[in-house]
Amino acid sequence: MDTNTIDYAKERSGYYKILVGLLLLTAVTFIQPHMFMTESTFMAQMLIAVVKGWLILMFYMHLKGETLIIWMTGFSLFIVFTFFAIVIGVDVQKFQFQDESHITSSATPIAEVGKESAPSAHSAQ
Amino acid sequence: MSGPYVPEIATDRDGNQHEVQGWQDDFYGGKLGFWLFMFTEVLMFGAMFMALAYYNTLHPQDFLDASASLNRLLGGVNTVVLLISALTMGLGLLNMRVGKVKEAKLMIWATIILAAAFLVIKGFEWRAEYNHGIFLMHDQMLPGSSLPFGQKLFFGLYFTMTGLHGFHIIIGIGLMIWLLKRINAEKVRPDHHILHWNIALYWDIVHLIWVFVFPYYYMIGAGGVTGGH
Repeated sequence: MDTNTIDYAKERSGYYKILVGLLLLTAVTFIQPHMFMTESTFMAQMLIAVVKGWLILMFYMHLKGETLIIWMTGFSLFIVFTFFAIVIGVDVQKFQFQDESHITSSATPIAEVGKESAPSAHSAQ
Repeated sequence: MSGPYVPEIATDRDGNQHEVQGWQDDFYGGKLGFWLFMFTEVLMFGAMFMALAYYNTLHPQDFLDASASLNRLLGGVNTVVLLISALTMGLGLLNMRVGKVKEAKLMIWATIILAAAFLVIKGFEWRAEYNHGIFLMHDQMLPGSSLPFGQKLFFGLYFTMTGLHGFHIIIGIGLMIWLLKRINAEKVRPDHHILHWNIALYWDIVHLIWVFVFPYYYMIGAGGVTGGH
C-alpha cells in the first residue's frame, strides 16, 4: 500500500495549482503563433508541450521524489530519442531512394509515377 | 483468484517457522510494473511521432497547410476536457487514499463523463473531415486525387494517431468502469488501492500523449496564411 503520510488539503491544493498552470500553458499554445517566436512555431509549440508534460509527469503522475522511476523513464526517453535522432538526422539527410520511394512523390497520379523524378522537398531542410 | 490470503509457512533446519513473503501488497512493485507497461506505450507512440517528423521533413509546406485546415477550436476544447479529466482522476485517487470512497467514486464518474465528451467531440471533428472528403481510403485521400501527397501523409497519420489515442480513451473508460466495480466489491480500498493508482497513471499517460499530439497536428500551421476553419 501507499505508505506515505497524506496531507489531503495540501495535495488537493497542489492538483488545482497544476491545473491552473496547465490551463495557462494551453492558452499560451493558442496565442503563441500570433505573439512570439512566430518564425519557429513548431519549436515553440514543442517547448510548451515539454513543459506541460513535465508538470504532468512530476505532479499528476507523482514522479517527484521517485528516483528509480525517474531514471527508468529518462532512460526510456533517451532510447526513443536516440533512434529518433538516428532516423531523422542521418537517414533523411542522406536519403538514397528519392527516385524509388513513394513517400517523396507529389500529387502525380500513380500511372505517371516513374516518368518523372520525385520532388526534392526534403533537401530544403 | 479471490479469497482470503493464506500465508505460506517455511520451517528452517532448527524447526523455527517463518512466514514466506507474499507480494500481494507490494505497492511499489505494482507501480514499477505499470511504469514498464507505460514505457511500451511511449515506444509505440514514439515510433508514430518519428514517422510524423520524418514525413514532415520531406513535405514541410504540405504539413503546414494540412495543419492549418484542422479545426483548432474543437481540438482546443478537447485539450481542456482531457486536462480537467486528469484533475478529476487525480482527485479521485487522492480521495481514495484518505478514505473518502464515495467522493472517489464520484470523481471517477466525472472522469468517465469527460472521457465520453472527448470522444463525442472527436466524432464531430472526424465527421466534418469526412464530409470534406478527407478520411482514410476515402475521396481526397485516394491516390489519384488532387490533394498534395504530403497532406495525404499528414492526414493519414492524423487519423491513425488520433484514432489510436481515441482507442486508448475507450479502453480507459472500460478500466474506470471495472475500477468502480472493484471498489463496490471492496477489492479496492483505501488500504489497498494499487489498481486505482495504476488506472490513474494510465489516464495520465493518455493525457500526456495528447499534450504532444495536439500541438503537432493542430498548431504547427496556426501561423500560416491559410488559417483554420
